[in-house]
Amino acid sequence: MNKDWELSQEAFDALLDWLDSDREQAALKYEKIRRSLIKIFTGRGCVEPEDLADETINRVTSKLKEIEKEFSGDRTRYFFGVANKVHLEHLRRKLPQPAPPPTTDPDRIELEYSCLERCIERLSKEHRELLLRYHGAAGPAETEHRRALAEELGIAPNALRIRVYRIRMGLKECVEKCIERSLG
Amino acid sequence: MNLTADKQEVRSYLLGVLDADRKTQLEEQVLSAPETYEELLLVEEELIDQYAAGALSEHERRQFETHFLITAERQKNLRFGQLLKRYVNSNPAAAVIPHVENSAPAKKSLTFSMLPAAGRPVMVFSVAGVVLLGVALLCWLGYRRPQSRLAQQRDEPVVVVTLAAAAAPRVNVPPKGYDLKLELELANPSFRNYKSELFRENKSVQTHGELRVEPKGQQYIVPVTITGEVLSPGDYELKLSGVRESGADEFIEKYSFRVIE
Repeated sequence: MNKDWELSQEAFDALLDWLDSDREQAALKYEKIRRSLIKIFTGRGCVEPEDLADETINRVTSKLKEIEKEFSGDRTRYFFGVANKVHLEHLRRKLPQPAPPPTTDPDRIELEYSCLERCIERLSKEHRELLLRYHGAAGPAETEHRRALAEELGIAPNALRIRVYRIRMGLKECVEKCIERSLG
Repeated sequence: MNLTADKQEVRSYLLGVLDADRKTQLEEQVLSAPETYEELLLVEEELIDQYAAGALSEHERRQFETHFLITAERQKNLRFGQLLKRYVNSNPAAAVIPHVENSAPAKKSLTFSMLPAAGRPVMVFSVAGVVLLGVALLCWLGYRRPQSRLAQQRDEPVVVVTLAAAAAPRVNVPPKGYDLKLELELANPSFRNYKSELFRENKSVQTHGELRVEPKGQQYIVPVTITGEVLSPGDYELKLSGVRESGADEFIEKYSFRVIE
């Protein structure tokens, strides 16, 4: 790919059209492909997976006219092939650099904890109790505790995992915003 | 596809120990199958919780630190997991509230449903009796320790501080002649005994061996008494390791605190 190539609005629109004729569906597919590529590059030990995911998408977009003529089949698989090439080039280019270690500043940790307390208080009673009960057992009793909780709620254990995961993601988002606000 | 097998496979993938062929197949699934992508997200959080609770094996812990924890995003997620664990540990009563409001009808009480003899009164009373005996034994064990702690406090004055892994509290320099007793919260008390090493700005200050775990409320703690004279204002880290029956030791957790005037 030409290193100077940049993703223009026109090229991006063409990519979305290729992914789906419905613009809303195309945008969802684009987001899903990008998130999945980030997970794949992270799984391969890449420290900056977002950059490699964007490079993969840019590379597919820059060759879209050729791809449209030559390629038929599952389009997400095409991204996977390009991602493999991008990864190989990345490995040749540089050694992976570890991410900087997280801060151990006690003031910062206390700030994060008070944000967590505030955000947990803002959860609905139902969500707060579910989250705390789900995480309330540790060790060998954990599996049985969660199975019984799922049974009590009348849902499958996997549905409970997903439900708690979503509460947790909402909480994490709240904590991140709280920290940003507190740091000004 | 079997869900349990998938979960285990995703776990191996995240820890970087899945064989190359399956790894490629799984990555393709991550792109094309939403349920595989979702499973990846769920197992990521579960691994973080298990690491924060010290529940990973030695090999898994090493893979987690060297392979999983490479991105800033995952380090941030680990921090969040540690904070959440600290909150849950500090609110044990909230974690066992017996009723969850839900649109789905609640089938039965959690505690009751966990009893294998539920529904059979004689068996329920028998099981309840065994549980009460267990509770009484735990209380007795828990009671014996505080007695020795009080005796120690009378003979050798100490300042007691409870430490959770994700916390970093401020501790005043102990008054002259006093020691600092740290009660290290522990999620998984599965070792024969414990040892600790205290660092001040990466310099080893004091080590302790043959430490024993003690019950405290609904949690476990490992008490470590730091000599008051070695403490001066600054940031401290205490590394706790568990000693297995074989004598091999395993790093468990790092606890931080700041000593202030």
